[in-house]
Amino acid sequence: MTFIEILNSKLLYILVILGIGFILVFSLLTLFRSYKHALDIGMDKTKIKGIITSSMIFSIIPSISIVIGLFTLAAVIGVPWSWFRLSVVGSLMYELMAAEMVATGAGYESLAALGSAGDPTVVGTVMFVMSISILGGILGVLIFGKSISKNINKLNAKGPFAVLAINVLQLALMAVYFPSMLTSGAVYIAVLLTSAATAIVHQLIIKKTGWKKLGNFIMADSLVVGMLSSLIWTKVF
Amino acid sequence: MDSKYFNNTHRFGRIGVIIGVAFMLGIPAIICTVYGVWPKDLGTLIAVASGLLAVFLPVNISEVLSYTPILGSSAYITFLTGNVINLKMPCAINAMSLAGASQGTDEGDTVASLAVAASSVITTLIIALGVVLLVPLQPLLSLPAVQTASAYMLPALFGSLFLGMFDNKCGEYIAKGKMKCVVLPMLLVLFINLFVMSTSGMEGIMMLITMPLIVLCAWVLYKHGQIEMIPIDKNKK
Repeated sequence: MTFIEILNSKLLYILVILGIGFILVFSLLTLFRSYKHALDIGMDKTKIKGIITSSMIFSIIPSISIVIGLFTLAAVIGVPWSWFRLSVVGSLMYELMAAEMVATGAGYESLAALGSAGDPTVVGTVMFVMSISILGGILGVLIFGKSISKNINKLNAKGPFAVLAINVLQLALMAVYFPSMLTSGAVYIAVLLTSAATAIVHQLIIKKTGWKKLGNFIMADSLVVGMLSSLIWTKVF
Repeated sequence: MDSKYFNNTHRFGRIGVIIGVAFMLGIPAIICTVYGVWPKDLGTLIAVASGLLAVFLPVNISEVLSYTPILGSSAYITFLTGNVINLKMPCAINAMSLAGASQGTDEGDTVASLAVAASSVITTLIIALGVVLLVPLQPLLSLPAVQTASAYMLPALFGSLFLGMFDNKCGEYIAKGKMKCVVLPMLLVLFINLFVMSTSGMEGIMMLITMPLIVLCAWVLYKHGQIEMIPIDKNKK
């Protein structure tokens, strides 16, 4: 069997379906556990459902972009392994880089050259390297996850400044990504502003009409409008 | 937070992550055994993997350290299913914003888990659908307009997300003047991007640096009365 035949084999499909099945079950169990706990601590059912709906709707578009990535990756390392890698831990950029490094490490000019040669002996190396090299994140959370959460919980009980200190941590996202977007060109800035403007329009509608359910769609709508606006902004700038 | 629920949640998350890792390494092992394609020598495997680990390990660990304080116990499912910055973090932050809760509280941790789990279910299902519909979908998703819009997903996402961060609600307090603490760190990152180097791809490390700086700025501003923490009930009066 050639490189791509092994990577598109029935056995690999079966194993990957089992793996993805586990991810789905784990996600559903986490959802049910959290839902039950949210009710236990007295959260309003409508609020909980709103959060779930908002998260699900928002996730559709980014998930489609992952499917686009799947096409790129499947062309070089077959469908099942690409499917697994993009569903568990991975990201397209990392997966392509990892597969390319294995190909060059095995003496081929590129991943495409490896695919054309059909050398099956590197299949194991490709699969292991792609898995091992991305383990840092999940091993990190396995080691540090509980202690970080414990310290954050403890800190939260230490008065107003501690509450503020935890809350402002998420502003680090803004501090890091906003400047990087400002320096990425006019289209990036225009898309960012369009998305923010869409969110403002939503907030104004909610304020004027009292239509609170619209709040669950702010992020999803802003994402879609922002992405669509890029088609105009790329022509303008 | 109820310590029994806290311990059970972390145990549940850890077990899920361990099973996920077993799949990540077990699938290549089975394929290698069945098709006789085990890596020829450990040297090549280590050589290629170490190159990737050198790049990704510090980034992965810094992401765990900087994102877990925001994600809480949802960090397990977040890091297991991947797509942290473009999907799971925005979902968790949006959910906490919708619930008006902060991380470090029972409600904040629960809604973050609800949002990430709901998002993971949708993503897993959409990618699976993408695999099933691979052939008919490919021409549609390969359209230049779709490719362009996908390239601008991040600014479209962050536009509304950043706007949500302007909300002064901070758990049981209103943090008046909260945004002032992000100005200096943001200018610093902008300066680095403009005059030193691009921080693209090093966001996890940059967040690890900016987080303590933001907290330090918040502390100085809080001590000088530039940020005020007003209890919500008192504020209402």
